[in-house]
Amino acid sequence: MNMVEDTPPKEENLMTVIDKLQEDDIAVNKHLDHILSKHCHVEAKLQSISKILPNIAIVRLEAEKFQNVIGHTNNLAEKVSAKVRQLDLARSRVCECQSRVNDILDLQLCSDGVATALRNEDYEQGAAHVHRFLLMDQQLLERTADNVSGDHTSVTSSLANLQQAANELRAVITHKFDEAVKSEDLASIERFFKVFPLLGMHNDGITKFCHYLCSKLQETAQKNLKAALDVRSTDKRSAVIFADTITMLFEGIARIIEVHQPIVETYYGPGKLLSCIGILQKECDKQIKKVISEFTKHRKIAKRVQLINEYLRKQGGTERVDPKDLDLVLSEITIMHIRAELYIKFLRRRIINDLEISTTDTQQRKDLLNDFEMIIKNSELACSMQELLGAYLAVEKYFMEESVNKAIGMDALDQDQQTSSMVDDAFFIVKKCIRRAISSGSIDGVCAVINMACGFLESDFTNQLRNRLRQGYPAGYLDLAQAYNALQTSIQHGRIQTSDTELARLMFLAYLNNTEVSIEYVETLNKSLSIDIDQAFQNMQTKEKGKIESCLAGMKNVALTLRTVVDYGLEQLRVSTVKPRITPWIDAFLAINHQINDDELLRYETDEPFVQSLVTNLEGFLQGFKNSLTEPNYNALIGILTAEVAARLEKVILKSTFNRNGGLILDKEIRSLASYLASATSWSVRDKFARLMQITTILSVEKIEELADYCEDSIAWRLTPAEVRKILTLRTDFRQEDIKRLKI
Amino acid sequence: MKGLRTSIIQEKKRTEFVIMEDYKFLFKVVLVGNAGVGKTCLVRRFTQGLFPPGQGATIGVDFMIKTVEVENEIVKLQIWDTAGQERFRSITQSYYRSAHALILVYDISCQPTFDCLPDWLREIEEYASNKVLRILVGNKIDREDREIPTHVGEDFAQRHGMYFLETSAKEAENVERLFMEIAAELMEQARCKELPRYEQNTTSLNGKTTSIGDAGICGCSRLS
Repeated sequence: MNMVEDTPPKEENLMTVIDKLQEDDIAVNKHLDHILSKHCHVEAKLQSISKILPNIAIVRLEAEKFQNVIGHTNNLAEKVSAKVRQLDLARSRVCECQSRVNDILDLQLCSDGVATALRNEDYEQGAAHVHRFLLMDQQLLERTADNVSGDHTSVTSSLANLQQAANELRAVITHKFDEAVKSEDLASIERFFKVFPLLGMHNDGITKFCHYLCSKLQETAQKNLKAALDVRSTDKRSAVIFADTITMLFEGIARIIEVHQPIVETYYGPGKLLSCIGILQKECDKQIKKVISEFTKHRKIAKRVQLINEYLRKQGGTERVDPKDLDLVLSEITIMHIRAELYIKFLRRRIINDLEISTTDTQQRKDLLNDFEMIIKNSELACSMQELLGAYLAVEKYFMEESVNKAIGMDALDQDQQTSSMVDDAFFIVKKCIRRAISSGSIDGVCAVINMACGFLESDFTNQLRNRLRQGYPAGYLDLAQAYNALQTSIQHGRIQTSDTELARLMFLAYLNNTEVSIEYVETLNKSLSIDIDQAFQNMQTKEKGKIESCLAGMKNVALTLRTVVDYGLEQLRVSTVKPRITPWIDAFLAINHQINDDELLRYETDEPFVQSLVTNLEGFLQGFKNSLTEPNYNALIGILTAEVAARLEKVILKSTFNRNGGLILDKEIRSLASYLASATSWSVRDKFARLMQITTILSVEKIEELADYCEDSIAWRLTPAEVRKILTLRTDFRQEDIKRLKI
Repeated sequence: MKGLRTSIIQEKKRTEFVIMEDYKFLFKVVLVGNAGVGKTCLVRRFTQGLFPPGQGATIGVDFMIKTVEVENEIVKLQIWDTAGQERFRSITQSYYRSAHALILVYDISCQPTFDCLPDWLREIEEYASNKVLRILVGNKIDREDREIPTHVGEDFAQRHGMYFLETSAKEAENVERLFMEIAAELMEQARCKELPRYEQNTTSLNGKTTSIGDAGICGCSRLS
């Protein structure tokens, strides 16, 4: 349509407009036909709908009826359930009533029963009646008494009776129990102990009973302590008698808990162990204090610690304690500690078991366990043990330092050993001390001793090593090999005295070895200690593990410090021996002519006169050290030697001039020198020779242009362009202009 | 080719990361000072964000770890909380030597705890490394009954070459700052120490009696 309007009816497009209109006409006709054909179908649908209509009215009616029925039923159901509720209430009231009637009846019964029981001194029976009475709801009973006016008097009087009887019983039982304790009548004690919970006196029962147990504990502990003090010094247990006494005390408490816990649990229910332990621990604390104070007095702990402190502060002067005498005391303190740790572990295990039965609430369990930990933490036992630990640490420190100093004082160097005796001895002692601390079972103790050991090794011990090395390696005309020979012959001839210089040299090397071996020992010690600690303290908490790890990390610092001392010693060796010895050997290079004609080239190629004699000299030099240095030290020495040789060679090369043949010979000689040094050690020397190799490469080129190719090959140059040019000028056959033209 | 190289570099970075155990610096911090000045509370406040009143006296030493971030570097602080009581002294002394920082705490409402500071300094002098970072802390500034004015504490710290800070573990005042500044300062020191350390070893030796000295010992255990 649009088309028709849009296109102006011009003559030329009239035909197309007509065609379009005709097409549209046909389409409209088709559409109309289609609509008409559907007419029949629509008619049929309408008819069927009008047929269904009356049915719908019926359905609606039925649905309304149905709804009515449901509503009605609902009503009924609600009424029924209300009745049921009422019934339920009534029933429960009846129940309550019945129980109250029962209570009242029982009240009467109990009231009478208690009176008879008391008369007959049948306390269990009486307590059972009171127990029944206590289970009743007292307030309800009183209200009932008010309500029932008829029986008023009887109920109230029964109540009063019973209350009075209960109080009476409580008083009697308490009295009887006290009496039984006084007369040590164990059967009666247990008898009345069982009655307390029936009277609702759980806490009183536990307290009284535990105090009784405490008195027994005190008795035995005092007897044991007295016996310990009477033990003669010749007795074989006398050295650990106080540790034995403490052990007996702990075992006594453990036995008490073992025996009485089942009784308590049966009659008082689970969960009472914590209060028992609370009371028993107080007694334990008292006894521990006594034992420790006797121990401190008899073993003169305070005096010894004081002497040690004075000695350490003044560095001698006052009375000196022999570390050997302290060995026994240290062991005894260690035993005391491990026993205390075991005892606490025992208590903790028992408490955890008891809590598991008594409560399911994890939070409450945690709180109660925490209460236990607080009891232990604040106990005199824990404090005494920490104080003892303090004394132990002071003594152990002294023992370790003095023993090691003694070992250093008695230091001896065996001819066929690379190290002197002090290093093995020192580490043996340190290990012994830390191991002893581990056997105490106290994490804090172990940490402190590790700290002390690290401190001592890092300061005093390292200083000893460094001071010896500081004295230096005496240089002299004698070769070390000669020194050895002199030493050997003097020994063979029965003259033990060696010259001071020889001895000083041997000692220097031994101490260099000592230091190097110490690093190894420290690392081994670190590893073996962490294994020992893991074994000794199983189930360590993360915090405790962290403590140990943090302290053991100190060992790494010790190793680092020792490493600086080894470096220092090697530096001494370099300055005093390596450098002065090799200088003349290498300076011989300057005396050789490096402008070589072709005849000479042939001869030099087979002989290598310079390098061969240098290698012989180096060989002789190293031979002197090979057996007297440990492998790492020997390798380090070769490293130093290599660096020195390379540096010196570079210097003398720069002072000489060459032709091509001279450069070729040099190149060959440097290569055979490098391969000799490489064969002498397992370490790589290639790196130290890198500059030299490049220098000889430059000196042996045929034409300068060759170097440009080298540059393109992108070798890692160790030489600067200026240096390359300078080296090229050593070649007498190269022209200055060519060198300048070279692009690098 | 280029892709291969970057993947190798990434691989290398990852392995380094594993070796470093997720932290780059590790420092030991030790707290000392009289009993009851609040050392444990300071540590608890910093490590756990708690202020548990009615703490019993610390026995021996307690140990906590907290990892913090300073200038995008992860720093692990090992904090040793020591017992203030005289009778536990010999256990606590053994921890001084390896400490990177020592926090000396007093109670601003209790003159005797301040009067004891010289004794503590003597002990630090005797047992700790001379390079240790020392910080004086006046704790309990939430209390009304102050006995030590701030400037007195400040003066003392200045005279003895210590850092100074007043804190309240109860109100969480300056506690975080205290430890974070220690971490930052120690990190700075550790970084400075790394370079000169190498130079000291290469000082020229003339003659056999030259000494290298103790300078080579690094005060920190930087892991790299």
